[in-house]
Amino acid sequence: MKNTYIPIPMKVDKIVTEDPEKTLRTYDLNFVNKSDLEKFQYLPGQFCEMSLLGMGESPFGIASSPTEEGFLRFTINRTGLVTNEIHNLREGDAVGIRGPLGNWYPVEDFKGENVVIVGGGFAFTTLRSLLVYLLAHRDDYGEITMIYGARNPDLFIYKNELEAWLKRTDMKLHLTIDNAVDGWQHHVGFVPAVTEELAPSAEKAWVVVCGPPIMIKYTLPVIEKLKFPDERIITSLERRMKCGIGKCGRCNIGSQYVCIDGPVFSLAQLKTIPDAL
Amino acid sequence: MIKIEKSNFGTFIQNLSADYSLFAPVGEGQQSAFREVKNAEQINTHIQITQNSPKTVFLPQTEVLFEFSGDDIQSEEKPAKPMFFWGVRSCDAKSLNLLDKVMGQSKQRPDDPAFQDPYWKARFDDAIILTLACNEPASTCFCNWTGGSPFSKDAGDLWAVETETAYLVEPLSEKGEAFVKGLSGYDTASEKDKQSIAKLKKQAESYLQPAVDAETLKEKLPQTWEDPLWDEVSAKCVNCSACAFICPTCYCFDIQDEGKKDKGKRIRTWDCCMFPIFTKEASGHNPRSLARERVRQRVMHKFRYFWEIYGESLCTGCGRCVRVCPVNLDIREVAKQLLEADSAA
Repeated sequence: MKNTYIPIPMKVDKIVTEDPEKTLRTYDLNFVNKSDLEKFQYLPGQFCEMSLLGMGESPFGIASSPTEEGFLRFTINRTGLVTNEIHNLREGDAVGIRGPLGNWYPVEDFKGENVVIVGGGFAFTTLRSLLVYLLAHRDDYGEITMIYGARNPDLFIYKNELEAWLKRTDMKLHLTIDNAVDGWQHHVGFVPAVTEELAPSAEKAWVVVCGPPIMIKYTLPVIEKLKFPDERIITSLERRMKCGIGKCGRCNIGSQYVCIDGPVFSLAQLKTIPDAL
Repeated sequence: MIKIEKSNFGTFIQNLSADYSLFAPVGEGQQSAFREVKNAEQINTHIQITQNSPKTVFLPQTEVLFEFSGDDIQSEEKPAKPMFFWGVRSCDAKSLNLLDKVMGQSKQRPDDPAFQDPYWKARFDDAIILTLACNEPASTCFCNWTGGSPFSKDAGDLWAVETETAYLVEPLSEKGEAFVKGLSGYDTASEKDKQSIAKLKKQAESYLQPAVDAETLKEKLPQTWEDPLWDEVSAKCVNCSACAFICPTCYCFDIQDEGKKDKGKRIRTWDCCMFPIFTKEASGHNPRSLARERVRQRVMHKFRYFWEIYGESLCTGCGRCVRVCPVNLDIREVAKQLLEADSAA
């Protein structure tokens, strides 16, 4: 039996720097062994532990979609020991991953229905995975609406893709920044306020909210006011996750482990867990 | 039920240690623990309960998950010989079963080996646990709170009672059956022996204080969420985590790397929900930054959350936390206060 703590060997294929400050970088990783690639079956919303031998492991949401074959994408904010070291990686360098871990956005349940995606900051990664997945199966889903906010225009990730999505006629993308800047042609204001203003319809719809804890906290009441039922309000929680397989205990909230029962939860579920949000 | 005369104990242990890595209580007081032994003289047969539980063998305080050199990764999961544990108290035997639910199995992904801990499984699945009835429970013992008893046969592969002259042993599991079948030259326990067990059992149970019902506590806990009692308890607690490290059912751990990029080890160490850094994220966000939240987490996890998943509490009443707490926080008193707390639902 394969030891579940031993990382799958990967190679850095491509690195994209997302912001002028160079704190956000996107890494496309290729599988070293073809058999690992074939075995790696995942859905949008799942995460991996990225491993740098000698430095440690950290959990990151998978930003690629299973419909994009052959690689895994992660966007990583330089903030701690491991992420600093990841930012020093170059194309061709070796890394490891463990995964796919956690559950996923209920894309099967979304079928035939409208999907509203609300995201903020660089937590946009698994939302990108979700959007790409939905667009790849475009006929299976109803209207797709996305609201994406960042502090300023520089801090949006996947800028090229955002441009392309803005032009698409089979989805609606709304971008917003916290404060107005010259030349900005989209919304201005925090995500909750913009969501309230746009008021996406709850009819035959699901909403996925993902972002920094503070954004989630203030967006959920807005969504509730729009009459989305709690079962159809989906979010993804972030906790410090070490093992990723429901053992090490640090992501425990109530009787749930974010790493294995989540990270994707409905608001209905979260309301039964004390202090989950 | 077979009878191992104390005069034969030395030979029995000698034979065992040939086939197994034999672990038994060793040492006195704060130094006592389950350690590997080769002969009966090394065993402390008088100890009521060891300072450290057998958990320390199955989930060591620190262990190497793997070593790496360049891209090469080497791990060793399996012990050279299966382990035999002599003299585990029923509370500790039950603890191992509870730990196995988390470490060896996965409630959420029961069929996927990727969600079973390979190190735990390699040790626990082949191990034989001999549960030794507790003739004299200590003043800190409260196994009767959570469904246990000094003479409980609920956990372990073998069950034994120490009488004045002998150990009476019977199998509890298939592994235990096979073990007993493999023994020869031992007498069967007599009617008189069985009568002495009944007497010892009654006496042992008389040492225990009246139980608080863990299920009632489980039902009450959610109502105490905002109770000021958590402030009082956490004001006293120094967050030292001794209770968790000594606990036979606490399993939280950390994974860290030692060495350099090209050569080193990935190690696992015990960790604890009482440390503020346990949940602190790289962003600075900490879901349980306050001491009251962490104390509450520990109690809730033991007596409520675990129950919600597995239908029993994650406490076997061994009383070790009561013994080691440097500020004399007694979980039994906390539980009683919580039950009495007049918290709004």
